[in-house]
Amino acid sequence: MEYFQFLIIIIFSPLINGIIKKIKATMQGRRGPGILQPYYDLIRLFKKDMVISSVTSWIFKATPYIVFTATITASMIVPVITTKASLGMMGDVIALIYIFALGRFFMALAGLDAGTAFGGEGSSREMTVAILVEPIMMLSIFTAAISAGSTNIARIAQIQGIFYSPSHILALFAFIVAIIAETGRIPVDNPDTHLELTMIHEGMLLEYSGPYLALMEWAHYMKQMLLFTIAVDIFFPLGISNNTEFSGIAISFSAYILKMLFIAFLTAFVESTRAKMRFFQMPSLLGWAFVLALLSLLTYIMMGK
Amino acid sequence: MKNWIQVFSVIDFISVGILLTAIAMNALKRIESCIKDYTFNSLLLSLLIAIVAFMVEETHLYIASIVTLLSKGLLIPMFLRKIVRQMKVTHDAEPYISNALSLTISGILVAVVYASLKEGIFVTGFSKNVLQISIAVILIGLFIMITRRKAVTQVIGLLFMENGLFLAGFSLTFGMPTIIELGVLFDMLMGVIILGIFAVQIKRYFASADLDKLTILKG
Repeated sequence: MEYFQFLIIIIFSPLINGIIKKIKATMQGRRGPGILQPYYDLIRLFKKDMVISSVTSWIFKATPYIVFTATITASMIVPVITTKASLGMMGDVIALIYIFALGRFFMALAGLDAGTAFGGEGSSREMTVAILVEPIMMLSIFTAAISAGSTNIARIAQIQGIFYSPSHILALFAFIVAIIAETGRIPVDNPDTHLELTMIHEGMLLEYSGPYLALMEWAHYMKQMLLFTIAVDIFFPLGISNNTEFSGIAISFSAYILKMLFIAFLTAFVESTRAKMRFFQMPSLLGWAFVLALLSLLTYIMMGK
Repeated sequence: MKNWIQVFSVIDFISVGILLTAIAMNALKRIESCIKDYTFNSLLLSLLIAIVAFMVEETHLYIASIVTLLSKGLLIPMFLRKIVRQMKVTHDAEPYISNALSLTISGILVAVVYASLKEGIFVTGFSKNVLQISIAVILIGLFIMITRRKAVTQVIGLLFMENGLFLAGFSLTFGMPTIIELGVLFDMLMGVIILGIFAVQIKRYFASADLDKLTILKG
């Protein structure tokens, strides 16, 4: 069982995106597309032909596979419904963050590869955001890791109890901001627009079409769900199963669904109530998050909990 | 019955909240929201005192809490709002250093305080962490006074410093005698009123509350 839990992320990640879109549409008084729409989009893209610019190198063709496999590898490290992750013994939080960084690096290269202005713009912005987000993510995870005495996510999930200390709450808020920036959502990036002045993530994918685009989009959905799962594992692991027996898994799975729905609701709420920030205002927001993460670590060291 | 204060670490949460509201001051541009932030800080301070009063069952601490609530949570913010309306300024001018940098510097300030006061040698109060946090709040208040340009925001920095001092004294001594606390609060109130009138006068004479422009002598 534990060897198949990463399939949950692969299969259900477009669904989460569909649910977020549906909730968002409902909040804004629209009907919106059905929650299965991302699947239809992916299937349709897989059936289409590709147009590849003649000036691109092998990087352009390799990137979708690298990004997709990197994301799948990352999802094998993360415990989803049981703390026995498939590759749990092989990697911890640090490995996970740098597997993400690998995918992002190739994505930025591919954005530059086609030589269009928007691709380069997207890559440059993505790397700027990444530089600011990475320390936030690291510091906030380290707070949880120090209290668990291990950087293994499964171990952190086992240790965290019902009671929270101030340092955990601070780390949680910092991590939420990091997730918003990393998944390219409002107020950092708008996932629904292709407006050239504002796009970050879409800018890099602008040259992709057909199956490659489908792979990249799917990898993005997976990364989003993966980050949600890490947040849940680290900060609300209540209900996650420590073994692989059926009853435990059933409870754990239903708890997981509830948590994911809650996070989807929260994301849609933030997206509906906030406006997108100007790009040059973002260091202020991320600076805030960085200070929160730093404070959480300091508070943990000072208070000892 | 009073177990829940320990179990949910209420005091820790409130004191971290006080620290956060002080740091948030660095990121706020609108003077209205600076005042709101200060109000929130004072409310948390008053709540902390009330909870400690409930914990140790001291009547005079309840009085201190209520007086804090009325003066810092109600009177001073009201007065500041009135001044701001009179002066017709809504935004602080661009501070000397950027938001992200000043946030980071205040984070470093907190780190320095925590590192240098890691062993709470002389603390026997209700919580060994509140002293560190209060000193951090004092330093952040000072930092706000240094980096801000407008007179009103500098006054708010001073008020944050005073809140930090109050918290420090409170955490060391379980609250000074009521008469001293009342005296300090009264001084504070007078100070704010004088500074407020002063700021309005500056604005009237120099057509700006930006303290950078006060470099020329006027006879």
